Amino acid sequence: MTDHFQRLGLKAHVDLDVAALEARHRELALVHHPDRQTPGDAKARLRAAEETASLNEALKTLKDPVRRGVYLLKLHGVDLEKDEAGGSGKLPQGFLAEILDLREALEDARAAKDLEKVQTLARQIHERQAGTLESARAALRRLPAADAIAAATPLLAQLKYFTRFLEEVDAIEEEALG
Amino acid sequence: MKGLLQIHDPLAPKGHVVGIDLGTTNSLVASVVQGKPVCLAADEDESRLLPSVVHYGKDGGVVVGARAVSLLSEHPTDTIKSVKRFMGKSLADAETRKLGAYQFASGEGVVRFQVAGGQPVTPIEVSGEILRALKRRAESHFMGKVERAVITVPAYFDDAQRQATKDAGRLAGLEVLRLLNEPTAAALAYGLDKGSQGLFAVYDLGGGTFDISILELTDGVFQVKSTGGDSALGGDDFDRAIAEAVLKERGLTSPSPQQIATLLQAAKAVKEALTDEQVAPLVFEEQTTSVSRAQLDAWIAPLLQKTGLACRRALKDAGVKAEDLNGVVLVGGSTRVPRVRSYVQELFGKPPLADIDPDQVVALGAAVQADLLTNEARQDEVLLLDVIPLSLGLETMGGVVEKVIPRNSAIPAAVAQVFTTFQDGQNAMDVHVVQGERELVEDCRSLARFRLSGIPALPAGVGRVEVRFEVDADGILKVSATEQTTGVKQAITVKPTHGLTDEEIEQMLLDSIDHGEEDIQKRQLREQQVEAQRMVIDARKQLKENGDLLGAAERAALLADVDALEALAKTESDHLKLKAALVALDEKAKPFVELIMNRSIARAVGGKSIEDVARG
Repeated sequence: MTDHFQRLGLKAHVDLDVAALEARHRELALVHHPDRQTPGDAKARLRAAEETASLNEALKTLKDPVRRGVYLLKLHGVDLEKDEAGGSGKLPQGFLAEILDLREALEDARAAKDLEKVQTLARQIHERQAGTLESARAALRRLPAADAIAAATPLLAQLKYFTRFLEEVDAIEEEALG
Repeated sequence: MKGLLQIHDPLAPKGHVVGIDLGTTNSLVASVVQGKPVCLAADEDESRLLPSVVHYGKDGGVVVGARAVSLLSEHPTDTIKSVKRFMGKSLADAETRKLGAYQFASGEGVVRFQVAGGQPVTPIEVSGEILRALKRRAESHFMGKVERAVITVPAYFDDAQRQATKDAGRLAGLEVLRLLNEPTAAALAYGLDKGSQGLFAVYDLGGGTFDISILELTDGVFQVKSTGGDSALGGDDFDRAIAEAVLKERGLTSPSPQQIATLLQAAKAVKEALTDEQVAPLVFEEQTTSVSRAQLDAWIAPLLQKTGLACRRALKDAGVKAEDLNGVVLVGGSTRVPRVRSYVQELFGKPPLADIDPDQVVALGAAVQADLLTNEARQDEVLLLDVIPLSLGLETMGGVVEKVIPRNSAIPAAVAQVFTTFQDGQNAMDVHVVQGERELVEDCRSLARFRLSGIPALPAGVGRVEVRFEVDADGILKVSATEQTTGVKQAITVKPTHGLTDEEIEQMLLDSIDHGEEDIQKRQLREQQVEAQRMVIDARKQLKENGDLLGAAERAALLADVDALEALAKTESDHLKLKAALVALDEKAKPFVELIMNRSIARAVGGKSIEDVARG
């Protein structure tokens, strides 16, 4: 099966030029999009739709550094998505309790409509996200070394929680916009 | 320019193709002529705008356009304007209850207007009359057949509204090559005209709808980054705001349909006059009210704020800031109102572009797309990559929505998600597909339900079902579910018969803002309830299999605790209390769990107890 990197003609690596990635996606979309097929050829359109959907999925996955990292791990046999609890088994001790506390604090801030508190919490998570992402990337650069996989796994499992947390922050901010 | 040459145009062997902007207030038809899109007029002296007004005469005759407008105040109930607002609607929709002069036939399903000269007519038929008039106009221009068209729709139109628009095209004898989103059409007109590159916002405020889209134009690809809007907000609402203010001022509490129709026309006239004047007179029933621009600005302020909210959301979804934009394109007649322009400028921090006539720009873009889709010589020029406007998801345990394809995802799209079975020996799984932004199923729109049966008997959590969502380039969703160990598969193509109404989309979006907090609490409670249910099932199973490890009294006590938790999960509304009960039971069961673990380890290492292993 073609992986996302292969589909976009890129080397499977943690460091990726996003502008080049997008340009490559556009180039391929121009060839494979259903609108580029002979009008009336239903079979070609269907194939084209499948191919374009895969291209869109590949772009979405590789563009985001966390998704890209999780995907790289998957290519090396560690599937954080498959894990029922979203990779919670791979988390360092105490992390889950800590993130639960932070989320509770976020909920309290939301209930109190304390946007400043929400933003303080978001900044805190952003910082940790940046630090963790840097470490994860450093580990992923050493792939396929076995210890690289072991080092990157708990970091990416944590990053997924940070992403989820920041999505919640987005929802709260959107609420506040109204 | 009509000439024989065009009839023999070798690039148009199947007749000419046109782009049609089927607007709330006005409609236009355009076509690419000698490489350039132009709007077509029936006669040299006739306007390119065809008022979207249809009059039904007592003799059964149908009049469309300017002549129908002149019949409006005399025959308010037999003359339908703004029919676009009723596309895909039923009588129950709030849209049909807004201030207006129509008479509706009673009945279920699609709304029907009671008009002179026979049977009630549906919005699809009324729109069909407008499309037929435009088709005739194009045919007389080209002196040849016109059978294929790209028709534009607001990006926010749902499936029912799109289907209704397509049906109207068919009624008019047109093959609809593509329903094109209006903002995308506008960008297409601007992009090709100027060969621009960069990031654009299209602010489209028409007679009845508002759309905002963020698009990026790069290397021949138009990529829609995000889209949003309000499918029931437009210039008609400005007129209504003026009319309501005048009614209030004059103490008119129950105006007749005729009075309403006349007043709305006067309101529209004063709104248009205020584009150039600071003060303008509104004449209604031989009485003149002076309306100032400042008054108009104040009346429409709440409406503009609604557009601002949608714009901020669209920017956020696109992951860009207002200052990243290279330009803001204005579309729609309502953007002529000075306050709208200054509001857009404040919102985005730059003066908006309006060099293409905002009334024509959508039709011109539709003509370009029609040409791109049919003219092989142009196939490699430009490509449109569009997105879905509302999130698509699945119902999971406890009625919580799991989003599978979030709003503003590029289409075509295909996403698979794996779900595990919840109970031992579970042999079927219900798949419930929903659309919307809210967290709970009951607050989203149900699109389809089906059941995957024939799952082999496996312990809870072991059965794995992959649910796959596929959205094609036309936005049609197909869902399939496959049990992974056996390959048992069920699939369904989601074609909602009614679709979401505007009001529902609007309501859903408003609700997701108003009830965000409530949602989170409900969601947390549901999560705890599911957790409790899992624990109850698991504990009972373990007690059954390993209960012999406990003394009779201990076993009975634990069973009672499990029953108590099951009961509590059904009645407790505070998720924190339920969570506390869960933790307590978990704590109580720990010694038992340890015994079970010892036993299974012992079994695994061949009959030795854990102490033996440690010592050995």
